[in-house]
Amino acid sequence: MPDFSLLAVTETLISGEEKELIELVKNTLDQGIPAKKILDEGLIHGMDIVGERMETGEMFIPEVLRCAKVMSAAVEILKPFLGEKDISATGRVVIGTVKGDLHDIGKNLVIMMLESAGFEVHDLGVDVPPDTFVSAIKEKDADVLALSALLTTTTNMMKATIDAVKESALRDRVKIMVGGAPVKQEFADKIGADGYAPDAGSAVKLAKTLVR
Amino acid sequence: MLSTRISYLSQDTLEIMRERVFELLENHGVKMDHAEVVKILEKAGAKVDSDSQMVRFPKNFLEEQFRKAPKSFSLVGRNGKQKLGLPREDGTFHTRTNTGAQSWIEPETGVYRRVRVPDIAIWARLSDRLGEIGFCAFPVPSDVPDATADVYALRAMLQNTEKHVWVQPYTEGSVEYLVKLSIAAAGGEEALKSKPLVSFITCSLTPLEFKRMDLEIILQASRHGIPLHACSLPSAGTTGPVSEPGIALLCVAEILAMLATAQVIEPGTQIVATPLIFSTDMSTGRSLQSSVESLRSNALAVQFVKAAFGIPTHTYGIGADSPAMDGQCMSEGALRGMLIGVSGADILGAAGQIEVATTISPVQLTIDNEVFGMVRRIITGMNFDDETMAWEDLMNVKPGGEFLTTDHTYRHCRDGLPPINFVRSTRESWEQGGQTDLVGRATQFCRNLLEKAKPVEMPEDVIKEMDCIVRAADDRLI
Repeated sequence: MPDFSLLAVTETLISGEEKELIELVKNTLDQGIPAKKILDEGLIHGMDIVGERMETGEMFIPEVLRCAKVMSAAVEILKPFLGEKDISATGRVVIGTVKGDLHDIGKNLVIMMLESAGFEVHDLGVDVPPDTFVSAIKEKDADVLALSALLTTTTNMMKATIDAVKESALRDRVKIMVGGAPVKQEFADKIGADGYAPDAGSAVKLAKTLVR
Repeated sequence: MLSTRISYLSQDTLEIMRERVFELLENHGVKMDHAEVVKILEKAGAKVDSDSQMVRFPKNFLEEQFRKAPKSFSLVGRNGKQKLGLPREDGTFHTRTNTGAQSWIEPETGVYRRVRVPDIAIWARLSDRLGEIGFCAFPVPSDVPDATADVYALRAMLQNTEKHVWVQPYTEGSVEYLVKLSIAAAGGEEALKSKPLVSFITCSLTPLEFKRMDLEIILQASRHGIPLHACSLPSAGTTGPVSEPGIALLCVAEILAMLATAQVIEPGTQIVATPLIFSTDMSTGRSLQSSVESLRSNALAVQFVKAAFGIPTHTYGIGADSPAMDGQCMSEGALRGMLIGVSGADILGAAGQIEVATTISPVQLTIDNEVFGMVRRIITGMNFDDETMAWEDLMNVKPGGEFLTTDHTYRHCRDGLPPINFVRSTRESWEQGGQTDLVGRATQFCRNLLEKAKPVEMPEDVIKEMDCIVRAADDRLI
């Protein structure tokens, strides 16, 4: 039999109503339901549904981001009742727009989407040289390196960055995903990336697959 | 509502055109082949020459008739489920499907062939289910006797849609039976009068002549309280002047003659001015619906009638000259929809038609439905307040910041018009989805809709009565 309190948490999360969700999470805790159970079976389960709905086009990006925001607020309520292990990230991502390219709208959108899916994201900004990416992978112990480019002329820098990662002997411990308007699957394969995402929603799905 | 509409007319040229219409109808007049109608007009003050059947309309007589014509009214559907206010409250338009096509492109196979009665049922059911289609008209079925084809067609329409139906009679003899079918479906004469679920089209025989059949339509429809679409269909350089102002002048004069006639027969008869002007391909003589000249002429006629006489207007608002559902077809339809939409027409007709109105396609109707939605959204006015100006967001955003996560974006992220069969995907996902083009996607959408579509609910006794009317029409007219 489904737990109706957790079902309500899931539905309220999906509706994006922050006040209602916080109230509900508090009440659910008061009922004696463990915080870890509320997190996993209420909130994370809700975000999984949100992800699916985004993929089918039922939910729009601002709605997904709203759900992510209310989820964070709800997690803050749960945190005092959770162990450190319970709130570990889905994965750690280092992301940036490659050297020579100053565009960041698409990258920022991917960041928001990744964070909403539970990833710990380290944004290196724009015009990032290969060495900086390499250092960040080491420093942040990244699971995924996400490279963005908008200009056709800067896509070559994606290859240069991947080559730099290979040279630093980090390639085996980090998955690399690429994206941006001029990037296609064929290009991703050619430069040796592990995956390519055509949009922000797909980027989350890809990142989840890569860290699995 | 848009604060301005496109218009080819200035105040001065509008006045000139207005005066010329009066002059044409007063000094030249029109020929009317219907003794009873002519007699009624003469009694009311029109100048009649019985030998030549010419009727001339003095200016004061015409102005008196214009005053009687309603400037706003509604077309209604069966069972009171639909009310199409003219003019439409939001300042945009209603839409109508093709009338009178002879050929059909099957949605299942893409095969081109003559229209049959079962196709009309499909046409009606599809129209019933497409949200942007306001009301529907019928094509010409080839699998029933010519003399009663319109009677069969209306019967099929009434049983398969609850939307308002536009009736185009093909013969004088069938008018009576089309009225009878309308009465049966409405549930009696009074019911039809109070909530007419059909409207009729009456046409001039350009230039400046009216057939007996069309005058009979005015007579019977007016007496039964049925709204009339007074239609003039001149072709530039053949049955009308080749120049745009000239052909619009002729067209509007003919429409006003029909309007005046209906008001004399039954004051308050609801009239929709319906200019359907064609241009002529001077190399072949073929009439064209979608040439630039045709678009301009119809837009001008609509603008003229609206500005000078204030009665509801109706013209082709989509459709194509192309014989195929190709790029030309889609471009012609969209260009026409936009121009006629911003010209202020109350009804945009011709949905689903290609090849100069002679062929219809359910798939094209599905596409036109979506295009109409886009045109409507484009010409819809905008509000200007702090909310629509996103004033709070603008004052708070950091340089280089974003609007994706603001409450304002969240509140309005669904305001955009959702596509039905148009796609905005990347090439890769389009390829993964089977590389279908618009026609392919609309075909599938159309099939899905039709798969579940059944006839509308109608009492058994009404169906039997309609069958009796069809049989009676066959007995008398064949």
